Amino acid sequence: MNGEDQATPKPRASRDQRASRQRLLWRFRILRLVRPTRVPDDGPTGDEDTVRRRLGPAFWLAVVWLSIMAFVAVFAPLLPIADPTKVAYSGPRESPSFDAWFGTDALGRDVFARTMYGARISLAVGGFAIVFGMAVGGALGIVAGYFRGRLDQAVGFLFFVLLSFPALVLAILITATLERSLLVVSLTIGILSVAPVGLLARASTLVYAEREFVAAARVLGARHGRIIVRELLPNVVIPMGALTLLGMAIAVVAEGSLAFLGLSVAGDDAISWGKMIVDGAGLRDLQNATHVAMFPVVVMFVTVLSLNFAGDRIRQYFDVKELAF
Amino acid sequence: MAGTGHAQLRDRDDVLLRVKDLVVQFPAGRKRVVHAVSAVTFDVVEGETLGIVGESGCGKSTVARAIIRLVDITGGEVLYEGRDLAGLEGEELRRVRPRLQMIFQDPISSLNPRRRVRDVIAEGLAVWGDDIGSWSRDRIDELMDAVGVEARYGARRPHEFSGGQCQRIGIARALALDPKVLICDEPVSALDVSIQAQILNLLQDMKRRYGLTVLFISHDLSVVKNVSDRIVVMYLGKVCEIGSTAEIYSHPAHPYTRALLASIPEPAPTVDVSEGDIGDELPSATDPPSGCRFHTRCPRATGICSEVEPVSEQVGGADHYVACHHPVPVEISAR
Amino acid sequence: MAEQVAAGVPLLSVRDLHVQFPTERGTVNAVNGVSFDLYEGKTLAIVGESGSGKSVTAKTLMNLLPRTARVSGEVTYDGKDVRALAAEKVKHFFGVQMTMVFQDPMTSLNPVKKVGEQIAETLRYHLGRSRGDALEEAEELLNVVGIPEPGRRVSQYPHELSGGLRQRVVIAMALACQPRLLIADEPTTAVDVTVQKHLLDLLDELRRDRGMSMILITHDLGVAHGRADDVAVMYAGRVVETADARTLFFDMRHPYTEALLRSIPRIDDPVHHRLDPIPGRPPELVDPPDACAFAPRCIYAQADCLGGVPELSGLVGLHRFACLHPTGTERGMAAMSANRAAGVTAAGLPVAGSGGGSG
Repeated sequence: MNGEDQATPKPRASRDQRASRQRLLWRFRILRLVRPTRVPDDGPTGDEDTVRRRLGPAFWLAVVWLSIMAFVAVFAPLLPIADPTKVAYSGPRESPSFDAWFGTDALGRDVFARTMYGARISLAVGGFAIVFGMAVGGALGIVAGYFRGRLDQAVGFLFFVLLSFPALVLAILITATLERSLLVVSLTIGILSVAPVGLLARASTLVYAEREFVAAARVLGARHGRIIVRELLPNVVIPMGALTLLGMAIAVVAEGSLAFLGLSVAGDDAISWGKMIVDGAGLRDLQNATHVAMFPVVVMFVTVLSLNFAGDRIRQYFDVKELAF
Repeated sequence: MAGTGHAQLRDRDDVLLRVKDLVVQFPAGRKRVVHAVSAVTFDVVEGETLGIVGESGCGKSTVARAIIRLVDITGGEVLYEGRDLAGLEGEELRRVRPRLQMIFQDPISSLNPRRRVRDVIAEGLAVWGDDIGSWSRDRIDELMDAVGVEARYGARRPHEFSGGQCQRIGIARALALDPKVLICDEPVSALDVSIQAQILNLLQDMKRRYGLTVLFISHDLSVVKNVSDRIVVMYLGKVCEIGSTAEIYSHPAHPYTRALLASIPEPAPTVDVSEGDIGDELPSATDPPSGCRFHTRCPRATGICSEVEPVSEQVGGADHYVACHHPVPVEISAR
Repeated sequence: MAEQVAAGVPLLSVRDLHVQFPTERGTVNAVNGVSFDLYEGKTLAIVGESGSGKSVTAKTLMNLLPRTARVSGEVTYDGKDVRALAAEKVKHFFGVQMTMVFQDPMTSLNPVKKVGEQIAETLRYHLGRSRGDALEEAEELLNVVGIPEPGRRVSQYPHELSGGLRQRVVIAMALACQPRLLIADEPTTAVDVTVQKHLLDLLDELRRDRGMSMILITHDLGVAHGRADDVAVMYAGRVVETADARTLFFDMRHPYTEALLRSIPRIDDPVHHRLDPIPGRPPELVDPPDACAFAPRCIYAQADCLGGVPELSGLVGLHRFACLHPTGTERGMAAMSANRAAGVTAAGLPVAGSGGGSG
């Protein structure tokens, strides 16, 4: 109501948030100390317990970069960026200049505009693929880990087949047979991510299914579906979620690899970083106009690095709290 | 330790739960099996507290989990109100579940860290919402009040509570469905000494308030004595001795029961401390000893013990049954 | 049995030990001014619940705390400043003169190494034995700690042994260098009662035969009662009462000791005996108020209990207690009846009306 109240909300909120996070950390530490076999334990025991966990400034730098990329990807047509398919006046293979920041490519198209538009397909493929992997792999993994037995064996077999099948051959098979639309390309990479995600989901389900709250739910008469959705899913989602960004990084790279084989999304207006790199990777271009391939490479590299780095920090951050006990 | 036999079963109308020749085996790879529970027989009458006591590996927790069908029963009967739970599957089994509830050893592991405690307690009601009349918020509030967790903390998650509080929440969850039988599997052994008494008293109160029949599993002889009307002593998947609590503690007849009573830090006056010297080595449950399973450690063992499995017999004319070839004679009762 | 004040020089002397851990939540005051003496050949039991600081005290003595811990106070072993020894990283002291047995034997055992080798390694490192001698001695040590067929056991891995045998191996390892002080931190908490008895008997016997001193850390009052010469009861990082075992169990002064003893079920209590729990729960160790830590749970609590932390009375070595209204004294009786009359203690704990005499 008064001036003081209005002046303080921001620091106050953040202090509250910090306090609640600290409380959470502390509680989880307690959880880790309590073992099922009556262990009255005394106080903090290890170094890692007293070292404060932070995500760190580098993490936030990565997040900023990813946010910019995501923003550009979504709003590219609304932003003051040149038309990526239009041939610029300045001619082909122009070096970077004030007009064309990243120069132009072999057809005289603006590399900067193409790189920005490229984020659309690259990130869309990455995002869709990992969401698909999470949904399908996660569901299979949880179900397998919960029911065990035959079903587990069957799902496990499926995962191993997927893992042992040469990924590129599978990708070529699918993209060569079907049309190379955004959906098909994403789906291809998504299928490839099912097994790794599924194995993770299965592993953490096995851990949680052993916990007594699952037994308690069974004793109460809860059906399997309810146990999976109410008891297991909320717990398993956390370690899986932490891996989303890592998975997306892999998917973005995978799209690049497909592009190299000419198997990425078809069509001239479907621009992706992978395709741009291929375009600029001809011998002449590499010698005379390095920038054509280099800019998409750098942007893709920084994006993948950011995804990996942010994903890894998140994983560490949650690992300690959720998976340690 | 033997034994088989049904002498300990009581022929009464108010027997609520009768476990007869219960066998539970787990596969242990290479065609071997763990004989976790072997032909265990006992019964529980309505309103009684039956204590099951024994050391780790004696199968006491497995008995509890078999009764409540958390582990698969290999053989034998579990009669609840005359109905064999061992044969029930699927929906039929699910329908009896609310009658028998359980409290677990590790109060923290037994609560889902991602759910609010009010939802945890209400889970049973939510599961059965349509089938079991109309439930209201009042029921949850009442339960929380009964177990001593303030209702205003209902929106918190389990990690914000201490171990003792978590155990109270677990008790409330088990009571929500108004069960007849409450199975407590080492409910206080993960708790601090000063909290144990609170929970034990609470269990007694809840028993009285909700008319429960209790199966109380513990390794702690003092705790079991405190809560139980009748006691089963188990060793390596077999029943050694069954009887009323007073009988067992004042005239322990089985050498293993006596060894337990002599081993506790402040030994019971009815036994000699030297009776606790039975060696450290628990035989393997995949290859249990022949005859009486206790013969490898028993100070009174003779040739017959390794060959013939003893059958439970009444001793001393009271509610007291022992499966042993050479039980320690029960002297004329002092009282 | 009655311990006299300062009969000679104590083997281990701890004065005003403080241990703090910085954490995300604030500073945890795990140990707040602990002092005690341990004489040659004696057993001191330190009894307390989780968070009482008993294990942290033991780890401090053994220099096993994480680097972030802030320690102050004096620890003297046989005239030497133990903390200085630790700071200079003196070899052949920890684990030789002074050694420790943990609750979980696997803390001290390497799962992929034969137990004989592990014991031999200790002997070779600290005492410079040859490999052959060390292995022979290891076998002998296994015999000493009562492991059947030591010749076969030396070449087994820890996972092939039962919990009780593992703990015996750990004890053998601890004994390898003929320590004068053994610290046993909940040595029997993870094992069954029959095994517990054997282990405690073994420790007792070894202590007698070798003239060792022992600190027995336990949450189990029964264990402390039967096995210790002296007992120190810890609560919230402080020793609240210390005395010889007999006095402590039969003529205690601190309300916490009394309440704790009263709350545990005993084998000779009648069936369905109503227990007398301690209300509430142990206090937080972050930012403790300047008051008796037990006051909120104490039925004797008066206004002055909330006005500052009571000091331990008397001299080291005598029956000492940190309470302003000790049980079994006139002040205590007065406090109790005042609280009964008021129906509530000064700390706001409801007290049942003027009921039975000892309730």
